[in-house]
Amino acid sequence: MLDAFSRSVVSADAKTAPVGGSDLASLRAYVQNGNKRLDAVNAITSNASCIVSDAVTGMICENTGLIQAGGNCYPNRRMAACLRDGEIILRYISYALLAGDASVLDDRCLNGLKETYIALGVPTQSAARAVAIMKASATAHIGETNTPALGGKRFRKMETTQGDCSALVAEAGSYFDRVIGAVS
Amino acid sequence: MKSVVTTVVTAADAAGRFPSQNDLEAVQGNIQRAAARLEAAEKLAAGLDAVTREAGDACFNKYSYLKQPGEAGDSQVKVDKCYRDLGHYLRLINYCLVVGGTGPLDEWGIAGAREVYRSLGLPTGPYVEALTYTRDRACAPRDMSPQALNEFKSYLDYVINALS
Repeated sequence: MLDAFSRSVVSADAKTAPVGGSDLASLRAYVQNGNKRLDAVNAITSNASCIVSDAVTGMICENTGLIQAGGNCYPNRRMAACLRDGEIILRYISYALLAGDASVLDDRCLNGLKETYIALGVPTQSAARAVAIMKASATAHIGETNTPALGGKRFRKMETTQGDCSALVAEAGSYFDRVIGAVS
Repeated sequence: MKSVVTTVVTAADAAGRFPSQNDLEAVQGNIQRAAARLEAAEKLAAGLDAVTREAGDACFNKYSYLKQPGEAGDSQVKVDKCYRDLGHYLRLINYCLVVGGTGPLDEWGIAGAREVYRSLGLPTGPYVEALTYTRDRACAPRDMSPQALNEFKSYLDYVINALS
């Protein structure tokens, strides 16, 4: 497993060169935006169960066959497995976002995930859709683009310093896209 | 590669939980101290060749017998390899400063070093002398800020202790 710092070290070692110049500049950016990154991770972890259950609910609403007899979220046991998998995927994305590198997500979550889903008969299209909803929800929490009108009575705003989080939103989005790409 | 972030993530993953407040605090503490070590890494990277040369010169000055026939530096090829090794150690220190831990030195420098030096019949004393010279020669604020120097010297001490 690597983070942003060890990633630059490993690639510098391949060239037998010290880490300097532009590599250090990107690490300084990581350090400078460190608090933003921690807030972003916190935004995901604090709202994890909400993000996961909304995503699974949304996936089922769009395809109600999933909870009818013979569907892949029927009975409760399989619905529970679906919620659990959503939480596991979100957890590894939060690790990747904290580390600033996708290797933990790749090594420990995505490697072999598609093959497992195919072997178990899990519809990968639905799984990808649930991840896409998690992406929308998580990035809205990180960028604080949610509004009371959209959120309704479940609207929630994190008490963080206002600032430009577009880079982190894009980075988090790329991890969700990585999961979608890996299962579909 | 071990660093504060990967240690935190490994522990959280073993417990199957999301990163907790404690984990985030640990990472934040590491980030707050990062400025000094990144400065040290930058200065070291910029002067790596010069520092290597000075360190190597210092060790051959002190142990001039090393260049006599039958000793570890009796040909230019062997002398060059000594300078190369010193460069490797300083480069690994640069990596440690970037990562914020001794992972790179442990994994790529120290693990197995003793066995290699023994089987090649190389003395480690001259390496210790060269790195000690580097440690005592570096000074603040001429080379880098005091905090950065502190980080740099702590990794030099780590290598010196491992080799002696």
